[in-house]
Amino acid sequence: MKRPATRGICILLAVALNGWPWLEARDPAPGFVAPSQGQPPASAAPFFREGVINPESPHAVSHVPSVTELPDGRLAATWYAGSREGGRDVAIYFSLLAPGAAQWSSPRAIVTRESAERDLNRAIRKVGNSVVFADETGKLWVIYVTVSIGGWSGSSLNVTTSLNGGTTWSRSERLTLSPFFNLAELVKNAPVPLSDGGWAVPIYHELTSTFPELLWLHETADEVRATKSRLGAGWYGYQPALAPLTRSRALAFLRDDGAARAVSLARTDDGGETWSDPEPLNLPNPDAGLDAIGLSDGRLLLAFNDSARDRSNLRLAISADEGQTWTRVATLAEEADEEFSYPFLTQTRAGDVHVLYTWKRKAIKHVVFNTAWLDERRSRAAE
Amino acid sequence: MNEQVLTQLTAAAWPWLVLVLCAQFVAGRLGLTTRGWQPLVVSGAIAAVLLLVPVSGLSVARRIAGISTNFSITFTGILAVMAWERAFARSVFTERDWRTGWGFGAIGGLALYPMALGLGSVDPYEWGWQFSPLFVVVGVLTAWLLWKGYRFGLLLVIAAAAFHLRLLESTNYWDYLLDPIYVVVSIIAMSRRLMSRARDEIPLRREVP
Repeated sequence: MKRPATRGICILLAVALNGWPWLEARDPAPGFVAPSQGQPPASAAPFFREGVINPESPHAVSHVPSVTELPDGRLAATWYAGSREGGRDVAIYFSLLAPGAAQWSSPRAIVTRESAERDLNRAIRKVGNSVVFADETGKLWVIYVTVSIGGWSGSSLNVTTSLNGGTTWSRSERLTLSPFFNLAELVKNAPVPLSDGGWAVPIYHELTSTFPELLWLHETADEVRATKSRLGAGWYGYQPALAPLTRSRALAFLRDDGAARAVSLARTDDGGETWSDPEPLNLPNPDAGLDAIGLSDGRLLLAFNDSARDRSNLRLAISADEGQTWTRVATLAEEADEEFSYPFLTQTRAGDVHVLYTWKRKAIKHVVFNTAWLDERRSRAAE
Repeated sequence: MNEQVLTQLTAAAWPWLVLVLCAQFVAGRLGLTTRGWQPLVVSGAIAAVLLLVPVSGLSVARRIAGISTNFSITFTGILAVMAWERAFARSVFTERDWRTGWGFGAIGGLALYPMALGLGSVDPYEWGWQFSPLFVVVGVLTAWLLWKGYRFGLLLVIAAAAFHLRLLESTNYWDYLLDPIYVVVSIIAMSRRLMSRARDEIPLRREVP
């Protein structure tokens, strides 16, 4: 470093290496893809059906379901099951429901602790929450939690994909999303597609405290590019559920582990770059997972535990004014001292609404209805 | 070379260097020589073998990878300098280089971790994925350090090159510059230096009439 020429070359190198990213093209901020607006057929008769995805589950615990619709109309679901939450035998299970079929396919483990350890080439203690989603080509994505050390605050996120409807899955990839040993990143609710082909995945941080975040996922020719940004300010709320209203506007509903014990709501007007401070709604939350979606008729549907104390009921509420006021329309489950939790919502292209939720921690319940049924229930609630 | 193999080798460099330093320390305690190529190669080989030992089906290296695969290039470089200096009894870093290295770790860590772990509404970790003030600050700092002849500046150049070559699993620039262990060691080193300086200054003050 004593020779001026060497020093000059090193300085040039430093400037070039740190300046190079400035020259790289930055894509304009993508917008959300909001649900396509369109009323379902007016003549559609109300219907409501329910069943269990895994009625013969040999496991003591089944929890945290997710569901998505494939382009051919099939539904794909994931959840985790095992001897206990966080057990070493817990695996992520996958099942399909063909259009018009009454029964889901036999559940199949697609990620086990051992397979994750093999794929990620590192020690894995347990696997946890997963979320499944499908792109326009029918490619299935599963983002799932693994823990190498500690409890759920030691979680990291990983991604695996399937090009054949879930028959085979790619080698899992670890997503690096935190500077602190890449710890404490988890997922619960569905991603929202972006106008540039990417995804905004609502995730959350859970280490020193909890807060919601957005994972921005883009697939290029040779990699899955993952970045993240803050959803709201400070340590408040987690397990966000994202409901896009327009290309630039969206709502995020948050689980509350604070004193308010109420569902809270944050808003964005700039495609998720900045968010309002979360404000508690007039809906209780017993520090439990919830989900919300924008329906194709423009209303919002929320599935939540309607209690500040426990998870002994699971209700649906709808809002026609972007989340300012809510009407409780239906109770999906209610039984004292039992748990009905972690709802996951999706609306198919045909307009049917599917709800998956944890039933007494023993099974995954599947409920399907149409908006005519919701309207009928709403009318009854108004009477 | 396969990108995954490359990132695994980079991830293993940090624990390998820690084991080399431990071997040098133990050898010194046992009265064995640590000077020269031969002891360095032997301690390096012992460290490599230890990392390859399988424990319940996974090597020690992959078990450490379960804790982290993103040990910063900067701290890995500092460990390499330590091992080199011990092996050849020759200073690679001057006192001001050490001071800068620990200062960079401590100040960088304090700027990054509290906010990245949720304090406030800004997450500086976001700046590491694309061009941002982070690149400007590190670029200017590196150029200034090199201009002034600090060898620590070379470690920052290597970290920036490693970021572009994707030598870590992470695609975030911060992870090439800092890691939690580097930050903790830096804060301890800086605190010790500050306390030592304070101790040295007390008698001087007393002597002043």
